Amino acid sequence: MATDAAPDVRARNAGARVRAYIDRHFLAFASWPALVVMLAVTAVPFVATIGMGFTNYNLVQPGWRFIGFANFVELWHDPQTPQIIFNTFYIVIGLTVLSTVLGLLLALLMRTAFPGIRIVRTLYTLPIMTAGIVVAITWRAMFNNEAGWIDYFLQSLHIPQPLWLGDPHLAIPVVVIASLWTAVPFQAILLFAGLITVPRELQQAAEVDGASPFRVFWHVTLVHIRPVFFIVVLLRLIDAFRLFEQIQELTTGGPGIASTPFSLQIYDTGLLYQRLGYAAAMGVVLVLLVALTVGIIFLILPRRS
Amino acid sequence: MRMRMRRRRRKGILALRILLLLIGLVLIGIPFLWIVLTAFKEPVAADASPPMFISPLTLSNFDSLFQDGYAKSLLNSVIITTLSTGFTLIFGIPAGYAFARGRFRGRNFFGAFLLFSRMVPPVIYIIPLFLFFHELNLIGTFTGLTLAYLTGLLPFTVWMSASYFQGVPVELEDAARVDGCGRLRSFISISLPLALPGIVSVGLLIGIAAWGEYFIPLILGGFSTEPATVGIVNFVGIDGSSWGPMAAGALCLIVPVFLATLVAQRSLIDGLTSGALKG
Repeated sequence: MATDAAPDVRARNAGARVRAYIDRHFLAFASWPALVVMLAVTAVPFVATIGMGFTNYNLVQPGWRFIGFANFVELWHDPQTPQIIFNTFYIVIGLTVLSTVLGLLLALLMRTAFPGIRIVRTLYTLPIMTAGIVVAITWRAMFNNEAGWIDYFLQSLHIPQPLWLGDPHLAIPVVVIASLWTAVPFQAILLFAGLITVPRELQQAAEVDGASPFRVFWHVTLVHIRPVFFIVVLLRLIDAFRLFEQIQELTTGGPGIASTPFSLQIYDTGLLYQRLGYAAAMGVVLVLLVALTVGIIFLILPRRS
Repeated sequence: MRMRMRRRRRKGILALRILLLLIGLVLIGIPFLWIVLTAFKEPVAADASPPMFISPLTLSNFDSLFQDGYAKSLLNSVIITTLSTGFTLIFGIPAGYAFARGRFRGRNFFGAFLLFSRMVPPVIYIIPLFLFFHELNLIGTFTGLTLAYLTGLLPFTVWMSASYFQGVPVELEDAARVDGCGRLRSFISISLPLALPGIVSVGLLIGIAAWGEYFIPLILGGFSTEPATVGIVNFVGIDGSSWGPMAAGALCLIVPVFLATLVAQRSLIDGLTSGALKG
């Protein structure tokens, strides 16, 4: 009888030990599946991109070999490269600065207390929720030279209507305007969340001391929301670097390459012209540019209130 | 006298602020108005130059959309959104919990990795994934698309749910564990229900993001798994015409998201802000 019970007890002990083990390492068990998936779908491809950047991999000819820095040398001498870099930063800086300034103004307005302000705030979030491709298509219709509403409006005011999407000087501004439609409300909602954390006493104290509304805003409010401001700028920068469907659908990067940033050029090179090695090298350069920009923001923008 | 003047000025400023807010709403609303009006216009009126603002209402744009298989695309969108949101939550929530609750092997690495993966533009991941998926015959499959969607959704979910679990006091779990409750039990029956409102908003946000995703299915999708975001582009003529069906397609894409936004406005705005601000 006693010998029969022994394995059962041992089994129960083993079960308890397993349970205790899981219990002790629960946090590790909870996090590792996600970490493994993320390594598989982001880290591995990322390393693969770096590796591919040093090969002549393409989909046209089978077989590939390492070619050292040849892709990077080619990119350096590519006559299109300066234009691509210029376009990338034109879009990133234009979109970040304009959306943050306008977003801050909108966030200040969102503080207005009146019945219905809550539904107004919600309505402002609708562009954020709209699929990027819908934004792109709709603005393409807006800027259309035959049936577009913008031309109709300008015509009724007797203002000349330029060839919005075909003019190399207007292509990027048009892309930026279309993107501002979602970016401004996004910045505003986040900055508004920061603004409501500013203690009223702080602002009132400054007003009592005779500070003008602008000075109160500049020296009290803005200083207080610095951490939020920093994150909002950072997020917008990162998103602007990856802007894709607005450009592809509005201008297809044109005319020529007048509105092609890196994100689109990598897509064209890799998947349209099938030069994956060269596209990967561009990707490596793009990541370095993003890292550099983020680094600069960390250096110049104050993070603490 | 002075008081009255000041009060009048206050009122003037309030009126001005409301006016500016409403002007902003009009600017925000015009593209939506275009979508709604154009979706129900007769094709000739939708492409008319100069634009025709009034036209007899018709559902013919929707007819031509659905004859071209847009219903299948919408169904694909629903499938991909459900799969990717579901799997992201299954993997992401426990990880967010672990991240919020402290010390374990690999935590710092995990944190740095989350930040880094947010920074890298998706095109960097997609090109190698395209090759891997090609080898594994995953191009154009729901499995492949779901895996690829995780690249963006999973880091975001871990990050956000961590911030919600941080809001649940550890003391509650400690008390339960003194009473002999295991880690798993205390996670499932204490922390998870308390963080649920936050998790719902994370779920909604990643659902909306998955629904609107264009770049990943453009490259990794196939004919039979193509979501509506990619399908809608097929209606762009070479000259950019046939706006009617396109507007109708756009309307199908925005209506579900708008309903979700209006129903869950509080939770969505909370999610949107805390996700960015606590990061």
